Amino acid sequence: MTGVAVTGWSALSGAGEGRVALAEVVRTGRGPEPVDSAAGRAVVHRGFDLRASLGRKGTSTFDRWTGFAVTACGLALRDAAADLDGEQRARAGVVLGTTAGSERSTSEFSAETMTAQRPYLVPPSLFPNTIMNCAAGQAAIRYGLAGINATVAGGDLAFPQAVRYAATALRHRRADLLLTGAVAEHTPHSAWLARAGRPDAVPGEGAAVFVLERTADVLAAGRAVEAEVLAVVTGHRPGDQSPAAMTEALASCLRRALEAAGVRAAEVALAAVGGAGPETDAVIAVVGGVPVLAVDDWLGYCQAAGPALRTAAVLAARDEVADGRVAVCTAWSADGGVAAWVLRGWGGAR
Amino acid sequence: MSVVRVAVTGLGPVSSVGTGRAAFSAALRAGRTGAAPITSFDTTGFPRVHGCEVPDFAPERLLRRLDPRGWGRTSLFAACAARLAVDDAGLADTAGGGTAVVMGTTSGESQELEAMTAAVLAGGFPAVPAGVATALPAGRISRAVSEELAAEGESLTLATACSASNYAIGRGYDLIVDGDAEVVVAGGADSVCRWAHAGFHRLGALAEHACTPFDADREGILTGEGGSALVLEPLDRALARGARVYAELLGYGLNCDARHIMAPDPDSIAECVRLAHAHAGIGPSEVDYICAHGTGTRANDAVEAAAITKVFGDVPPPVSSVKSVLGHTMGAASGFGAIASVLAIAEGFLPPTAGWRTPDRELAALDVVPVSRPARVRVAQNNGFAFGGNNAITVFGEVA
Repeated sequence: MTGVAVTGWSALSGAGEGRVALAEVVRTGRGPEPVDSAAGRAVVHRGFDLRASLGRKGTSTFDRWTGFAVTACGLALRDAAADLDGEQRARAGVVLGTTAGSERSTSEFSAETMTAQRPYLVPPSLFPNTIMNCAAGQAAIRYGLAGINATVAGGDLAFPQAVRYAATALRHRRADLLLTGAVAEHTPHSAWLARAGRPDAVPGEGAAVFVLERTADVLAAGRAVEAEVLAVVTGHRPGDQSPAAMTEALASCLRRALEAAGVRAAEVALAAVGGAGPETDAVIAVVGGVPVLAVDDWLGYCQAAGPALRTAAVLAARDEVADGRVAVCTAWSADGGVAAWVLRGWGGAR
Repeated sequence: MSVVRVAVTGLGPVSSVGTGRAAFSAALRAGRTGAAPITSFDTTGFPRVHGCEVPDFAPERLLRRLDPRGWGRTSLFAACAARLAVDDAGLADTAGGGTAVVMGTTSGESQELEAMTAAVLAGGFPAVPAGVATALPAGRISRAVSEELAAEGESLTLATACSASNYAIGRGYDLIVDGDAEVVVAGGADSVCRWAHAGFHRLGALAEHACTPFDADREGILTGEGGSALVLEPLDRALARGARVYAELLGYGLNCDARHIMAPDPDSIAECVRLAHAHAGIGPSEVDYICAHGTGTRANDAVEAAAITKVFGDVPPPVSSVKSVLGHTMGAASGFGAIASVLAIAEGFLPPTAGWRTPDRELAALDVVPVSRPARVRVAQNNGFAFGGNNAITVFGEVA
């Protein structure tokens, strides 16, 4: 048991922003239509306006990826009604998952060294955008969060890894509140990466951020727990990484997660996965015929943000996960990563 | 309840001054620097062309399981460092769920990204060679290590820039203490690349020939590269298997400036030192050596000195920066600092700040170690700071 609770969250995606937009996707089983972007067909967050979301002050260097991250962190804080004083902000932090930061910002900076009159004539204020911790650092600055600030570069595995990292930090009382999530932007560069990884999928983009706190502290303060993170297990499958091997590794990972959560397979009411293949096969093998949300089918393949949006979709499906019902989520990567996590939903009513 | 203590039993440096513990230790003591003209990219047009590259890097000679084809230079640095560390620890078998991997990085597979950029400029995305997209994600760095070790536990890449290895070591500490892993290989890796070199140049942070931290005439950093890895195990398990225990990982501290994306903050760093000391269960007077972040830029060294004075007062312990030897190896840097700190404890010497000659009056409170000298180091503090205000400090001690 991680002893960690979700007290608020936010999601941005092709479906728009906020709980209602995502809940509508889950309820109807229909995602937003892909659009023709400069980087091919994709499910994009068309309404995103960085300046409208965050204003002009301090945001002039932000790329889309950082804008998503900082916006999602702010919305999550507001959703949790977390009004932190100075002392609390010193013990609050950010843990964000990514694939490789903004590949576009980094590549464009790199291109300057190849096309500028002199190779060093790069724009200095954009240098931090090439570093993968830029988004988490900017979120900390914006909201004054001086506690643990970490960036997990795990691609498809980054979100469950970030949750594990955050849960450990909370359990050891290194922090009291951690904005934990994952972010991915749609750009020509990220779409190229997405198509190389999942040639059959439509690229997507988005972010989801969860306010994580110690469950015991939240309950002691008489505040509502929306969901408990009962367990998160991640691992690596070395050697044979065929679909059959990854299915087996995922199933084993999911069994360990249920065991760590102290939950029987029969108690699972809902599952959320990326899509068909090893994840769905593993879920069916371990928990049988529960409803399975295939979230990438709705929101596109959102790389690092996918598993975070999967989790948000579970929480958006309120009726399925209220009253202490249990949901499981999975993630995997073609280079051997597996993850499973178990949530107990209270619909904010506990 | 028994308290789990964390032992350091293996060291794996792949650096510009030596590969493997013995070669690295000898170069460090001698203060021999890895600075040389950069060869991994065309430096034509750059006013400053020196860096600290790993010469003649031959992963196929070090790796046992991993096929180097299909992996980027940074991942291969990590995998080789891990292999060296595991062999140094005398661990015959790392396969299975008991072994976890945590690696830090700043720029990930920067050379793959650069290859992509060059191809896109030449002919658009279809011109990018097959395999670049697979090799580019930064999470490949820990995956490469997990593959090399056939490790099935957590495989985590932390991208908290230039303090990332200290984050990784801290994560390793928790995995051991929580019983989530029996063995953790923790460290970091990065590769020299054109865009980081350009970025640091544009910030006025590059030195011409030598990185001389804390010197009055310091010019800045030399961009460096390599892989650093440490093997962490529960102390009683290490003793039970008869392992050589170099040092104990006493604890760590993390915080975030939350003020400026690039400029470091002395109050926040001082607070991070206090967090690390508290977690390690020590006071400032017990620290015998500070392995500084010490980048050699005017700003970093002044801020770091101010933070040291805030915590340690007017008579701080001896301090040195191994970046004077290795250059700034970015995500690997605090891992190299950790290896140097552990060697200082295990072998009884203070690492030098190579090339330090002229005291800086503004840093007068610092006791800079110019030349390596014998000393008993009971407790060493290893500083790591980064863009994004990501401060991370690890504390190592003699096994008492």
